[in-house]
Amino acid sequence: MSNKKPKECFYCVNQLDVDYKDVRTLRRFINFYMKILPGNRTGVCAWHQRKLTQAIKRSRVMSLLAPTHK
Amino acid sequence: MSKSKASGLSRYEMLFIVPNNYTEDEAKSIAEKVEGIVTENGANIVFREFWGKKKLAYVIKQNHYGYYSLCEFDIERNALTKIDRTLRLSNEVLRHQIISIPVVSDEERLAIKEKQTQASKNDKKEEKPNNKEKISKVVTKKEKKDEKKDDGKADLKDLDKKLEGIISAKDLI
Repeated sequence: MSNKKPKECFYCVNQLDVDYKDVRTLRRFINFYMKILPGNRTGVCAWHQRKLTQAIKRSRVMSLLAPTHK
Repeated sequence: MSKSKASGLSRYEMLFIVPNNYTEDEAKSIAEKVEGIVTENGANIVFREFWGKKKLAYVIKQNHYGYYSLCEFDIERNALTKIDRTLRLSNEVLRHQIISIPVVSDEERLAIKEKQTQASKNDKKEEKPNNKEKISKVVTKKEKKDEKKDDGKADLKDLDKKLEGIISAKDLI
């Protein structure tokens, strides 16, 4: 029983590249516990999901995003 | 690393953090110093941006804040390791990250930023109409209530008239 709506890829719709410096948009693909959401939750296409996970990890290295919730 | 390029140069982007124990002017001079290190190793700096003081998402070497600075440059891949080593050894840079990026002109860079802001705005716009609908629903409900009240008043007036008519009529008894 899934109430999931058919989602469109955020990056394909807005014709954006995944940027690790753009924390504001990365936030929407992250859990309350700062975990990276899976592709079926984000609705992002597989190609962009791969870029997205890489970007989130990069922004964590530069302390733009926290690795965990305190 | 684009193999098609004959010169062997490719575009890289470096973001680095200067610790908080310097003032902003000092941090700027340190950023220039770092850019100097990059140019010494044969890089051609294309773009630079000083973000200023920002709160770090987590504490790095007892620093809660840091000055972020960004620069883009063209360089050969082999020279990167030297830059990396020197920056790792220096105490003036808390952390740095060098990443290969596609070649982007200044206009395109602006366009990308606009797109990012627009994308975040669009999402907000999508949320707003829902609220408006809700408000309009509430308004209609209120109107309905008012109408009902009006009906009540009208009924009372009619009743008064009828009563008066009844009272005024002398054929009651």
